[in-house]
Amino acid sequence: MKLTRRDFAAGLAVGVAAPYVIGSAARAQGATIKIGMVLPVTGSAAEQGKFALNGAKLALETVNKAGGVLGKQLELVTEDDQTTNPGVVLAFSKLAAQSEIVAFLGSIRSTQVHAMAPDVLKLGKPMAIGGTDPNLTKMGNKWLFRFRPNDSYSGSVIADYGVNTLGKKKWAVLHSTDAFGTAGGKALTEGLSKLGVTPVIDQGYSNQSQDFTPVVLAIKQSGADVLGSYFTFENDLGIFARQLRQLGVTIPWVGSPSIVGVSSIRLAGATLHGTYGVADYAEDSSETAKAYGKAYRDAYKLAPDNQSAWTHDAINVLAKAINTAKSTDPEKMREAILAIRKYPGAEGEYNFDANGDGLHGYNIVKNEKGNIVFDKHIEAAQPT
Amino acid sequence: MDQALQLLFTGIGIGSVYALVALGFVLIFRATNVVNFAQGEFSMVAAFLMVVFAVDLALPYWLSFILALGGMALLGAIFNLGVYYPLRHRTFLPVIIATIGASILMANGMLAIYGPAPQVLEGWFETPGIQLGPVYLDSQYLLIIAVTLALVVFNYWFFEHTMIGKKLQATSQDKEMASLLGISVSAMIMITFIYSAVLGGLAGILVAPILFVSIQMGATIALKAFAATIIGGFGDVTGAIIGGVALGIIETFGAAYVSVPYKDAFAFMVLILFLVFRPQGIFGERVAEKA
Repeated sequence: MKLTRRDFAAGLAVGVAAPYVIGSAARAQGATIKIGMVLPVTGSAAEQGKFALNGAKLALETVNKAGGVLGKQLELVTEDDQTTNPGVVLAFSKLAAQSEIVAFLGSIRSTQVHAMAPDVLKLGKPMAIGGTDPNLTKMGNKWLFRFRPNDSYSGSVIADYGVNTLGKKKWAVLHSTDAFGTAGGKALTEGLSKLGVTPVIDQGYSNQSQDFTPVVLAIKQSGADVLGSYFTFENDLGIFARQLRQLGVTIPWVGSPSIVGVSSIRLAGATLHGTYGVADYAEDSSETAKAYGKAYRDAYKLAPDNQSAWTHDAINVLAKAINTAKSTDPEKMREAILAIRKYPGAEGEYNFDANGDGLHGYNIVKNEKGNIVFDKHIEAAQPT
Repeated sequence: MDQALQLLFTGIGIGSVYALVALGFVLIFRATNVVNFAQGEFSMVAAFLMVVFAVDLALPYWLSFILALGGMALLGAIFNLGVYYPLRHRTFLPVIIATIGASILMANGMLAIYGPAPQVLEGWFETPGIQLGPVYLDSQYLLIIAVTLALVVFNYWFFEHTMIGKKLQATSQDKEMASLLGISVSAMIMITFIYSAVLGGLAGILVAPILFVSIQMGATIALKAFAATIIGGFGDVTGAIIGGVALGIIETFGAAYVSVPYKDAFAFMVLILFLVFRPQGIFGERVAEKA
């Protein structure tokens, strides 16, 4: 028999592929159930990627100590997304090719989730996500499940806290004019109008402003007695906070999550003392959050934050869903996730809605002399 | 009225920062006929040097200040030898591109060393400011205004009443003639780069306690300073200072009385008006022919 080039190539292909095909079949029936995770190991969010992995590993240990899922141990398979959109698409396709992976942990970055979403839909397996763009769970992709409250809730929570808890009706709304700030400012104004309040001043500013004197004077003149803000960059927030205090404005201030971010607290120092912010993870918000915070500190000698809390909750919820469904069939897992009610997670109490959003509220925290202290949890009204 | 006074103070303060950086632009332009697009990064690098000395090494503030400015003088010299000198016989274009390249190198070099998080630098004074009637005077802005005023006087004395200043002027006006008269042109250009780097650095160090120390701080200031240079008249020292302060006042008042989100637009609208109706700027000779 004459060996043609084509025969040779085919033979080579089979030879090379065989161990993988046989191997994967063997692994599929193996001792573990696998969950894939894309995360930034390199690139600008590498540090946050480490936090995300920490949180997921902590949950993995708990699940496996408690007997795993369907009598098997849970295993995490990770892939670097390089903190870029092309990177995350590549990382996901590498994981998607491994048929024994039953579910995925996606990204905390909305833009990356958007990039992966078409491939997730094609593959048809559940993916837990942390991106907070409200649209992600409203674009007809039934495989995305969110483990953080989306941005449409922060506006109504800030409004609720200022009006009902602080008792303030004369609002100054301040927001960046970029996509995030504009959407945030709109969400806050809408939240206020549901409570029958119209802001006395609605002020936009452009990012990287070197000076906020005109803004502060406008707020001062408006006679506002409370300030709600959506700042995109911490250095803008820091400059504004200093000038606000210098020019004698001392009204209560409730900000979007950036106001309680580690960088803001470092940059703005004392000028942010006494301000309030919304946060999805707050250590003292519940017993579960407290227990998680302690376990995280013990394991990693680091302060816990939302970057790790959501992956921790995602692993726990996925494990619970597989156990309830008694199967790793994607449709059955999906039904089991959507059926989850009142599940206590580190980020809050999970009640999945039909869109796949698990959380619908925020914690209000206060900056007390540089320490972030939990004040109260506000559950936003369910969107219609 | 009270509000206008407050705005005027802030406008002059931020305008003085633009003026200091603009001065660096003008001096190098006069000496070499090219715009140094790395001028803003001089401010950024100096601010980071301050963080290294005053925060990381915890040296006294005045010593850190001298060390940082010394470092800037060194950087100015290296910049001249590495970026301008090899290309000095070429047209202005390769030099301009080289300065852009150098600015990218400096910004990303700092990013690699320090990471993207902004740093905090304390101000020179312990008191954050004083309340003078209805106006709050930020102590750091007061310092910036004072330094700018002092530099106006110093520059006048230096360029008009010292031999080296006159040599620098002669070099910038006519290099061939200057060298025929026995002035070392390359030495004069070296002095110009060192002085410009120190000026840019001074602006960066002074403004850092207000704007924080970040990789982007140089680019933000330089863009406005560049506009100030054109408004004042490219090549004119007084023009750069007046242009910078005017720009600071215009954008602050524009933001307060017209629109905050369009604050940056006012600066550039004025720039466009000048380019169309008076391209030589307030004080300048007709630079349109030079460029």
